[in-house]
Amino acid sequence: MSQFSGLNYRTISFMKKYLLFYFLLASSIVIGQSKSYSIKGYVTDDGSGETMIGANVIYVENPKIGSSTNTYGFYSFEIPEGEVTIMASYLGFQSKAFRFNLVRDTTINFKLTEGVLVDEVVISADREESRKNVESTQMGAVSLPMESIKKLPVLFGEVDILKTLQLLPGVLSGGEGTSGFIVRGGGPDQNLLLLDEAVVYNSGHLLGFFSIFNGDAIKNTSLIKGGMPANYGGRLSSVVDVQMKEGNNKKFAASGGIGIIASRLTVEGPIVEDRSSFIVSARRTYALDLAQPAIKNTDFAGTNYYFYDLNTKINHKFSDKDRVYFSGYFGRDVLTFKQPKRDFSFSLPYGNSTATLRWNHLFNNKLFMNVSAIYNDYQFEFTGGQEQFVFKLFSGVRDYNAKVDFDYFMNNKHSIKYGVNYTYHKLTPNTASAQSEDINFSNDLNPKFGQEIGIYALDDIKVNDKIGVNLGMRLSIFSQLGPYDPKDGRKFSNFEPVTTYTRLEPRSSFNYILDKNSSIKAGVTVNNQFLHLVSNSASTLPTDIWVPSTENVKPQSSIQYALGYFKNLKDDTYETSVELYYRNMNNQIDYADDYVNDISQDLENAFVFGKGRAYGAEFFLKKSKGRMNGWIGYTLSRTERSFDRIEDGRWYPAVYDRTHDISVVVNYKISDKLDIGGVFIYGSGRLFTPTNGFFFIEQNLNLFYGPRNSQRLPDYHRMDLSLNYTPKPNSTKKWKGEWNFSVYNVYNRKNPFFINFDTNSDFQTGVTTIEGSKITIFPFIPSITYNFKWNQ
Amino acid sequence: MLNKSNYFIIFLAFSIIALHSCEEPYTPEVLNTEQQFVIEGFVEAGPGANPTYVMITKSIPYTSKIDANALGNLFVKNALVSVNDGKNNVALTQLCLQQLPPDLRRQAAQSLGLNGDSVNVDICLYVDVFNQLDRKIGGKYDLTVKVGSLTMTSSTTIPPHIPIDSVRWTDPPGEPSDTLARLWVWVNDRPEKDYYRYMTDTDGSGLVAPFTSVTDDAFFNGKKFEFPLQSAPRRGARDFDPQTAGLYMRGDSVTVKWLNLDKEHFDFWNTRDFAANSGGPFASYTRIRTNIKGGLGVWGGYSVSTYRIFCPEK
Repeated sequence: MSQFSGLNYRTISFMKKYLLFYFLLASSIVIGQSKSYSIKGYVTDDGSGETMIGANVIYVENPKIGSSTNTYGFYSFEIPEGEVTIMASYLGFQSKAFRFNLVRDTTINFKLTEGVLVDEVVISADREESRKNVESTQMGAVSLPMESIKKLPVLFGEVDILKTLQLLPGVLSGGEGTSGFIVRGGGPDQNLLLLDEAVVYNSGHLLGFFSIFNGDAIKNTSLIKGGMPANYGGRLSSVVDVQMKEGNNKKFAASGGIGIIASRLTVEGPIVEDRSSFIVSARRTYALDLAQPAIKNTDFAGTNYYFYDLNTKINHKFSDKDRVYFSGYFGRDVLTFKQPKRDFSFSLPYGNSTATLRWNHLFNNKLFMNVSAIYNDYQFEFTGGQEQFVFKLFSGVRDYNAKVDFDYFMNNKHSIKYGVNYTYHKLTPNTASAQSEDINFSNDLNPKFGQEIGIYALDDIKVNDKIGVNLGMRLSIFSQLGPYDPKDGRKFSNFEPVTTYTRLEPRSSFNYILDKNSSIKAGVTVNNQFLHLVSNSASTLPTDIWVPSTENVKPQSSIQYALGYFKNLKDDTYETSVELYYRNMNNQIDYADDYVNDISQDLENAFVFGKGRAYGAEFFLKKSKGRMNGWIGYTLSRTERSFDRIEDGRWYPAVYDRTHDISVVVNYKISDKLDIGGVFIYGSGRLFTPTNGFFFIEQNLNLFYGPRNSQRLPDYHRMDLSLNYTPKPNSTKKWKGEWNFSVYNVYNRKNPFFINFDTNSDFQTGVTTIEGSKITIFPFIPSITYNFKWNQ
Repeated sequence: MLNKSNYFIIFLAFSIIALHSCEEPYTPEVLNTEQQFVIEGFVEAGPGANPTYVMITKSIPYTSKIDANALGNLFVKNALVSVNDGKNNVALTQLCLQQLPPDLRRQAAQSLGLNGDSVNVDICLYVDVFNQLDRKIGGKYDLTVKVGSLTMTSSTTIPPHIPIDSVRWTDPPGEPSDTLARLWVWVNDRPEKDYYRYMTDTDGSGLVAPFTSVTDDAFFNGKKFEFPLQSAPRRGARDFDPQTAGLYMRGDSVTVKWLNLDKEHFDFWNTRDFAANSGGPFASYTRIRTNIKGGLGVWGGYSVSTYRIFCPEK
């Protein structure tokens, strides 16, 4: 059966109209171009040779012409011939400018130096960054350089990019302390998490309390919560694109940190100076290792838990036109539980591994290509037992992914991206087996297979000085593949399509510049999701299982409409925005109210399907200049679900619904030695399904429940503070140290994490007691971390 | 079947909570809802079967403590309860413990695992006192309960019985013990879908079901299968000792009530056990699946065999 047979007449007709609109718009702009040449090149950090993502390069004579560097630090644009000045700038770095006579296509590679010397230069760097707020067509996108994340307060001394993202408007925490997050009403599984282009299926360590992204190995994180551009697909809500550092290609360096629960070490350096480099970064926790002497004397001797991450990357620049990167991540949580007195034990390793091989090639001044081969794997394993009884559980996701992406800088009016992405998925459900002496049992559940093809094109069009349009289209085709035995007489062999879903996803955004400092943006985005993770919890747990779309499980889909007003104030010192959004979601998946986790059953048999809607307003005020910077975000939102088999189809608020959510983030540089950071969070309490009452069965009390998610826990709020102390900031010594002191929940707010009922009944005496309690798990928690850097 | 990975969640969750948590009393907002009627009734066939009975209680809203009198008032009196076995429609008779002659009271209380001489609560049951129902394997039993103007109905069956084939005692796993033992039972499962439940009594204080009291045959369908039979904690026992949990004391005389039940009846216990055992920070709520139309609880059929097994001294 043809992969494309799912394209029906309506889809084709829609495509035709869309393309016609595009060509009319595009052709109207190309007319009337004057003689000009292209400028292209890379922007890198002079100290380490790292490419810089999102650096601004502008044509100083007409600052409206310019470009931001892409994921690989590359930029390109076109300017008129003659005497020109080109300037590159990046936050926290000295800007650099070149003046020359432009008579042909020219390559200019910028090497920017860290730190600030002259105030005007800083202002221009900040300013260019701030201008994006008003001038870019992209909505709901935020880029967070690692340096700014590291200054904020942390829990247990561990820097966590996913928790920082939760401080942005429209992004809610999945639960206190967890790295799972909710974007505009979509579940945690609806976020596409990419680590050097590899999909990360489980982003949490220790039940999600820590994210797998080791801050020392990360260069940049960008979040797209609104109009997802067409080059991303496969998830409904957001993209978190995390890029690892490449390693210093000039000199050897090491950095690391010692914290209360974990330590980190990163080593990097050149392989061939200025051409190739490597980086190896590791992190491991040791809280329970240190507790071993105490555990040894208990009934649980030998019990331990730790997690670790290992990031590596090497790259080589063959020429100005060709560069190859290889990066990998390997991380595991390992829990060993032992109860020697009863010969009971289990071990439980789980984690992700990813590998990405990329080749950047520059065909000419205008056409940039990236080819990637990506492997990623998430697996969860449990082996436990008592005496001769052994029980094993395994689940996981494995992807083989190949993609090719082109950036075509056609001219200053058109910046085009197009590409193809192919992924082969293997999804292993909970395969369980048990052995007792010579008897074996298993639940006979087999892996499911699928392939996902994404073909996309997008054009970021500058229609004139006032209007910008980003038009994109993505064609997503997902097939469930054999081997597959639906146990109805049919059998599908290897790679044989079982069912195919073809979906067309238009992605458009529009920007109208009202005046120098303000603009209106609007966007419509259609997304589909073919892999699903259905959880009873609002966070992500290692035991949650990813499942593919099949004959029974239809792809999730979403359409989002967004409208925003963006304004910069006081000479771009303040960026402000108001964004409104409305989302409709179909084929949402959940468990029924009476779901019982049964590993003998195919999970999809327990699913119920419904629809969702989410709407809200996000207010954002950001200051990125000066000694004091930070932001205030406020979100007013509503998220609802309706399932025929839950509450008879009545619309009810989703567990992620949070009416109010406020974050205040402040960073103040007191001196070169000292800076302080503070975070204040206030949000409506989490929804829960209240207890309607209690009833007796077999003389024990049982709970019965009221309407789903019909009550809220008390409002959530807390404040965190941090102090970063660098004893010798201007030291020229090779070793530099820095202390971070953090306090989580400064005023010890007792935010309830969950509610518990303890019941006791005795029919003999007739005395029955019910004790309700709310349990708080993160009170006032101070932490201290020592970070160091060493340079050759 | 208990998902073993839940151990992991529970262990980690409790480690974190033990390290950092603090607990404060919580009084839930009382919802403006009426009390529900709760049915607990069983029709059994086989050796050791109880007489058919139905207990009707009212649900309670959150309250910190109730006494014997208030508990007694939860029992619904003067309801009209009848069971139809396909041939006969049998009206069950209301029996309240406090009104029974001492002998009968002792007997009735014992079947509930209570001491009839000192029971404080006036427990009322509706019982097929003359054993008029035709209780047999394959039988179908329709229940009708009328309380005032409210009618509740349900239906259940008594499925075929798969008795325990044989048993054996072994030392407990791990560290040797002279006082503790483990009980293993062999079962020859049928090729058809079967559902099992059991209760144990180690000291004559009454039969109690263990924490996870039901299983289906998903992992051993049609096979001869041996598994350890957990000793249920005594009713009302609040302390859980991982060193002795599920084990028997040598010298004990153990009563095992071994039951088969149908799918709807199994679903009730399965959701009940899951709801009771899976609480905690990461769990969602689980609604207990009822087979009562118009109320809560269960009307269940059991095929029964009962065993008295002596655990030998070492």
